[in-house]
Amino acid sequence: MGHQYQAVQWNKNKIVYDLYMVAAVAVFFGVFMFIGLQTHPSGHTADPVVLAIRALGVTSFAMLTVVLAIGPLARLSPRFRPFLYNRRHLGVMTFVVAAAHFGLALLWYHGGGPLNPLVSMFVSNPLYDSIPGFPFEVLGFAAFLILMLMAVTSHDFWLNNLSAPVWKALHMLVYPAYALLVMHIVLGALMTEKSIVYPIVTAAAFIGVSALHLYTGMREWSADSGMKALKAKGWIDVCAPDDIPDKRAVIAPLPKGDRVAVFRYDGKVSAVTNACRHQNGPLGEGRVIDGCITCPWHGWQYRPDDGVSPPPFTEKISTYNVKIESGRVMVDPKPNPPGTRAEPVVIASEGAPA
Amino acid sequence: MTNTTGVIDPSTKDPHEMFVGWAPAPAVDRRFLLGALPLGLLAAGGASWKLAGKLNDPGAGAWLTGATHDVTGALVTHPYPMIRVTDPQAPFGMRTVLLVAVGKCTSSLTFGDMEAKPVTASGVLIQRKERRMLEVPPFAEEWLTPASAGMPVAAVKPPIQSLGGATLAGQIMDSKCFFGVMRPGRGKTHKACASLCIRGGIPPSFWARTKDGRESVLLLTDAAGGPMPMDILPFVADPVEAKGEIVRVGDLLQFRVDPAAIRRI
Repeated sequence: MGHQYQAVQWNKNKIVYDLYMVAAVAVFFGVFMFIGLQTHPSGHTADPVVLAIRALGVTSFAMLTVVLAIGPLARLSPRFRPFLYNRRHLGVMTFVVAAAHFGLALLWYHGGGPLNPLVSMFVSNPLYDSIPGFPFEVLGFAAFLILMLMAVTSHDFWLNNLSAPVWKALHMLVYPAYALLVMHIVLGALMTEKSIVYPIVTAAAFIGVSALHLYTGMREWSADSGMKALKAKGWIDVCAPDDIPDKRAVIAPLPKGDRVAVFRYDGKVSAVTNACRHQNGPLGEGRVIDGCITCPWHGWQYRPDDGVSPPPFTEKISTYNVKIESGRVMVDPKPNPPGTRAEPVVIASEGAPA
Repeated sequence: MTNTTGVIDPSTKDPHEMFVGWAPAPAVDRRFLLGALPLGLLAAGGASWKLAGKLNDPGAGAWLTGATHDVTGALVTHPYPMIRVTDPQAPFGMRTVLLVAVGKCTSSLTFGDMEAKPVTASGVLIQRKERRMLEVPPFAEEWLTPASAGMPVAAVKPPIQSLGGATLAGQIMDSKCFFGVMRPGRGKTHKACASLCIRGGIPPSFWARTKDGRESVLLLTDAAGGPMPMDILPFVADPVEAKGEIVRVGDLLQFRVDPAAIRRI
């Protein structure tokens, strides 16, 4: 969490995550180079630099495909949440590999000539008015700039200083970047390489990522639609106290489309916003661990009664007033300012916490 | 369960202990990851193997950067810099070695007063089958020395024979990359590089295949046999058709084309 800014707040899982990521990239890139440098049946061998440009490009596209698949996969199954936990490192690593691809291609194809390499990239192929002839390099360059912007602003420092909505909007640019990269491949490598494998793999990646997002998006939309249909006025009847599993929550709709997470813990009930302060993770899908509500995405924690992160952290989320009437948990839909203590309601049958 | 409509109980879909990044992973996640992570590595390696194994044949050609080669013959700079080496064993009694500068700026090559004189040039050999090219530093004093050997007139002014008009379909490419500096050195991914090379003075070639599949590479010149103007740059590395005249100059085939007679196909 963000009480102070460090480059990386390492823990064992992050180290394992990064080691595995580097190993997977090394395997992908290494196998590509090893196989690509084998002598072709004709007796010809590829130039190692040209091959490295290809390998880096393919690797970075594969990495971005995985980055984009992790989000919806984690929504479909909690078993994929470990991949979500340190996804930003995978994103930054994707940028690093893409930067190597861009730098090497710029140097090798556009360097050493009569034009500035960056100028050459824009003018050496002038067929901007042709779809098949379009200079695919500029599409890759545009995607690279987006990835760079995202990598530079990936740290929580920027999340806090740009504000969550601006940061989120900025990082939604990953989708245009992915589309640009697909077109970069379609109008570049796919117009050069003869094997049918490449269009099939590119299409499978694009369709797969799109389908995952559409499917999970429709599920969310369906849930949202059900929730927004709520027209309750005044206190909202959520459920019976026993309907909430211990140290877990149920998520209830609020009239304006917000959601409240109602937790049961230590014989008490508290309610907080469902959106984590960090990246809007679904707090209601989390658990109460060590007395704190814990976000399922990145493990950020908040005290249930006042929505404040435990010291030394200082993040705050909105709380909601709760009461139990006639055996029903009722929530006041008006949120308290972030960090406001809302007295937990004791479940009569369970008595006061020990 | 007596939840109000619209209330979600996430525990019904996720009854297990939760993974938290800063804590030891629960057993259910450890079991999943123990299976998924090795599978992920295998999938990465397998996919990469498949993708790399299907790359285009890079074509013939070599860039012999490990050694310096000396070439002795007559220096000619029109239409493009080259050295004609007399060789009784070679077809037509000579071998032409094109000259290019390090990098993509062959226009910057200087030759002193060596034009049409016997010289020895030192540089890196680029070779694609019987076609040869020497890559040299930009300034003459670094690579060019007078040669004492006598020079047959034919090396300076070789016989010129017209083989007639022809309409060829193929690609315009820069000779340096195609001869072996880049493998592969043609196609859309190489278009910008080829265009930049030709802009920098590297001789353009016209690559075509005959009906029986044989590769045919001709030095591309303007209709009068002079250097090709930059008008051809938009056509470089695209499938094109060109109408012109095939002329043999010594051992070298030229395709003499009016740039206006080139069209994209």
